[in-house]
Amino acid sequence: MVKLLFFGRLSDYANGVPTQIQASTAAEIRQQLVTEHPLLATELSEPQVLVAVNKQIVDWQQALQDGDEVAFLPPVTGG
Amino acid sequence: MKSTIRIQPEDFDISEQYQLLRDLTKGIGAVVTFTGLVREFEPSGDQPSAIDSLSIQHYSGMTEERLSQIVDRAAARWNLLGVTIIHRIGELLPSEQIVFVGVASQHRNDGFMAAQFIMDYLKTQATFWKQISQNGRSCWVDSKVSDAQALKRWNLPEDKDL
Repeated sequence: MVKLLFFGRLSDYANGVPTQIQASTAAEIRQQLVTEHPLLATELSEPQVLVAVNKQIVDWQQALQDGDEVAFLPPVTGG
Repeated sequence: MKSTIRIQPEDFDISEQYQLLRDLTKGIGAVVTFTGLVREFEPSGDQPSAIDSLSIQHYSGMTEERLSQIVDRAAARWNLLGVTIIHRIGELLPSEQIVFVGVASQHRNDGFMAAQFIMDYLKTQATFWKQISQNGRSCWVDSKVSDAQALKRWNLPEDKDL
């Protein structure tokens, strides 16, 4: 199982999304959300959305390990 | 080079932060500070319109790491003696302080350049997200093309950038 986190506008679509999921890549997580959370899955398909595993930006295809923290990050707007 | 990075809901006192930088070590010849504030008006459609509040979310742990990398990059490029970054989170009201960047150096150019560099990187690389409440509605702030362009002037490889 991996832990899921959604930030910024993505957090608006994450109501009812499980906080943990079984998946081998972030791309697979997005695919799993299509049926029950289509709006979130659409937002995740935006090219600017990045994925971080254990707080490091990684490729959507990177293999996930049990216990990883997977965060989905829209473009940042701090400062 | 001593750096301080703080992410907090509480406000900060820039005179206190300035003094802390000034007292950090001997040999300081310049202290450059920047403070970012919540604008009271933001565009809403075609017209600027008063905002009710600004809410700032961040990714705890990753934000601190990112800011620390930004400071390391600045310190590798300019001769710095001290850096302080403070960024507030949570609910902020119009004209409140959001962010502070202070740089102590021997000479002014290092301080000016590093402060700009740090702000440009913070804007585009640190994991903060702003939500504006305006006319009774809240919406997430879009990232700005001008911020991404500002980053380009530093000519650094954009590996794993946000």
